[in-house]
Parts: sequence; structure tokens; C-alpha cells
Amino acid sequence: MSEVELYLIQDGENCTIYTLQFLRDVESEFEKFVTKFREDAEYSEDFSRIAAFIKRIAKNGAMERYFRTEGKMNDSVVALPVTSSKLRLYCLRLSDKILILGNGGVKTSQRYEDDTLLNGYVMTLQKFEQLLRQEVALGNVNITESTIETDNIFEL
Amino acid sequence: MKRTTRTLEEMLGPIPANIQAEVDLSFEISDRIDALMRQKGLSKKQFADALGRRPSEITKWLSGEHNFTIATLAMLSTFFGKPIITVG
Repeated sequence: MSEVELYLIQDGENCTIYTLQFLRDVESEFEKFVTKFREDAEYSEDFSRIAAFIKRIAKNGAMERYFRTEGKMNDSVVALPVTSSKLRLYCLRLSDKILILGNGGVKTSQRYEDDTLLNGYVMTLQKFEQLLRQEVALGNVNITESTIETDNIFEL
Repeated sequence: MKRTTRTLEEMLGPIPANIQAEVDLSFEISDRIDALMRQKGLSKKQFADALGRRPSEITKWLSGEHNFTIATLAMLSTFFGKPIITVG
């Protein structure tokens, strides 16, 4: 079991952006992605494109069509970018106005399930969403049109 | 609710101006196409069928990441009877 918290990155008129942070870690999941790839010579252009997409999404809203559908049919896991790229960032898109940025990495296999690291990042988001929905059903978490209201620690 | 110590801007860092400009333009184009589709009441499938394209191609057009050719923009302008982009 790993304990994780939801952290607010930015609240905006059209989109509220969060990330997850494991209690054992110094950095959040999205910050780990940034640390790995922002200054990496081989992937910096791909990272810059993803960064530009996120900036645009923060301004426009997290419309479904801006993302590649990943995960399973009954979850909200998506990825950036939609088109082919060496890098992939996994997110939870809960609505047009609520986006949770996860971690990501280099896509070396056809499917994320075939890559232990990428699969782990997707599973983290899937498990988090499952727990979030359970807590909403129990009345311990409130999801509004544009925010997730919780100070819970989630045990993944 | 805890907040990250760094802002989104700080995390993303400086984005090369040409990449941001390219992304902004392709998002604007995809948003324009989406708006025109909605005005005509077209689903992605109907739009694809009307143009003789695959739905997967429309998905790319609407993603905000597609690099449109002038030929495709001209074809779409003709289809909708309205400009997709204006120059100048």
C-alpha cells in the first residue's frame, strides 16, 4: 500500500489542474516527469510540445478531443499527445474542467501494458480514480463542476 | 487542499516561441473546425462520411496537434462555406 495525496497545481476559469504525490516522495508525479524530460536533449522538443499543449488546455479547458484515450473503457485515463511522439504523459481527465496530471515516459512498446514503467503510471491513476469515486459515494470527497474538494490521504 | 510549491509556469519552463505559436495555431484551427461541425450538427462519423475520410483522421484534426496542409484547409473552408483561418 502506498499513500498518495492530491495536490492543486493551478485553478483557472476553464480548467483546474491537479497532480498526485506519494507521501514517501519529495516530488509530485508530474514534477517527476518534468525533472526527467524537460532538460533532456533527446526529448526536450517532445517535452516542449506537451508543455505547450498543457498551457493551451489550462486556458481552453480539458476537452476530450485534446487527449488520446488510454486505460480501460470505464476509466478516465488519457494521454498527451494524441499524435505520435517519443514521450507520453498520462493524466486523469475527470471533466472538461478537471485534469489530474500524472507521470509518463518514453513509449518503446506498442501498448503501455507491455512497458512496466508506463503501465505502473497508468495503474496509479486508475487506482486513484477508483478510490476517489468510492470516497465520493461515501460523501467524504466532493467533486464540483471544476474542483475536487478533499484533504484525504488515499491508500493505493 | 495542498498546493504544489512550484507553479505550472515554473514546472513547464520556457517553451520555445515557435513551438508555442505552432501549438496555439493548431489548437485554434481544431477549435474552429469543432465549432463549425457543431453549427452544422455533424457528428465525427457524419463529418468523416461527408468528406470520405476515416473517423480516425477527424480525431487527429480535432486534437489540436495536427499539422494541416493548405489543401486540407482549403477543402474544409469549401465544405463549410466559411474560412478556417484568415491571413493578415
